[in-house]
Amino acid sequence: MLETTVLTGHHDALSKQKRISQRMTINTDNEPRTGQWEDALTLVALHQDKAAYAELFRYFAPRLRAFGIKMFGNEQQAMEMVQDAMLNVWRKARLFDASRGCASTWIFTIARNVRFDMLRKKQSRKDDISADDLWFDGDYPEQESNSSDSWDTMLMSEKLAPHFDALPPAQRMVMQKVYLEEKSHQEVSDELAIPLGTVKSRIRLALDRLREALDDTRS
Amino acid sequence: MTHAVKFHPGLMLLEQYVEGSLSADVALAVSAHIDLCPHCQQLSKDITNDQAAVLAEQDVSGRDAEQEWQQMLNFITSQPTISSSASTHTDTAPQVASVSVNGRTFEIPRALARLAEKQNKWLHLGGIATAKLPTADKQHVSLLYIDKGTEVPNHTHLGLEMTLVLAGKIVDENGEYGVGDLLINSPDDTHTPRTLADEDCLCLSVLSAPLKFNKGLTRLLNPLQQFFY
Repeated sequence: MLETTVLTGHHDALSKQKRISQRMTINTDNEPRTGQWEDALTLVALHQDKAAYAELFRYFAPRLRAFGIKMFGNEQQAMEMVQDAMLNVWRKARLFDASRGCASTWIFTIARNVRFDMLRKKQSRKDDISADDLWFDGDYPEQESNSSDSWDTMLMSEKLAPHFDALPPAQRMVMQKVYLEEKSHQEVSDELAIPLGTVKSRIRLALDRLREALDDTRS
Repeated sequence: MTHAVKFHPGLMLLEQYVEGSLSADVALAVSAHIDLCPHCQQLSKDITNDQAAVLAEQDVSGRDAEQEWQQMLNFITSQPTISSSASTHTDTAPQVASVSVNGRTFEIPRALARLAEKQNKWLHLGGIATAKLPTADKQHVSLLYIDKGTEVPNHTHLGLEMTLVLAGKIVDENGEYGVGDLLINSPDDTHTPRTLADEDCLCLSVLSAPLKFNKGLTRLLNPLQQFFY
């Protein structure tokens, strides 16, 4: 019962508060909880985390398929839509902005837009109305310039900041240079005078720790 | 100059817009209205959240296609993701778009920017000018400019007529419409829209069938019908 409310609740600022406090008190079963998908997208965005993506995929792909069958009336196009939409989720995870809505809303709008453009293409229309004309309000941001900045800010302030601070100093230093200052692994290696392999392994370790920390807040 | 939008699309229209099941031309009018109307922006966000929640809630047990899903998953995760340094692709639509007609320049909503850029042919007839937007539907989408103090001949519609005021003001027998107001006229409605003496008007017009002009002489003006449609 409670899980359903949590899962379907609106995601404005108010319910976010509620959501967080609910999350703290629920620690049973393996029902998906709100917060899980946003975290998974975070990991995909940060590190193309395939395990986190697989979780998202196994939850959303069958549901998108059901949605697609309802809209298209056939399995083949529904599966085409699922693949296109879920590929966009994988490729564009960095563009997801949790401050604009939750993960399921983002994924829904991607699928909706894919479906709309599939229908238009089927009717062989080039110079025509596209999903990009119709839906703009940030549900499906195409431009990266601003969103990646706000993404980092969101990431650091809302979810990761406390855990980030708890990282061992050496790992924190590397993570800061790579993810906040957007330096390449090689640049970080040069700057800190440590081997490239060490940079990479510190990032892996730090990500593991962050993942664990995020997992802990969920159970 | 600020105008509180008074005429909105109905909730059902908004729901179908969010769902993506409206015909593209009608959706375009709704989208342009939303660009101009904070109230409907909020509403369509809420509807989007609701529909997404319904999607996420679906019970999908009972179908086992593990192998198929695994293949798709493997394919997807083998694809490159976009990196943060990837160059932002060039704007197809400028942030602020405008159209010029009758020596006047009007800002137009984002939803219309890309399409309006592709056309610059205005057909003038008296105080009225139209420019068709390049869409391929049965419905006809055009920008409609009405000079100040001009009356559009009394007409009925064979189908649905949607008019979104983009700039200025228009009045008809039923009231006065300002920026952002969306008028939807069904086949039963007869009206004579006109502009006020001191203010011209730019509209988006979506027609699902030709207009029929009712009054005396204008009945003979077949070309006029072509013109609007």
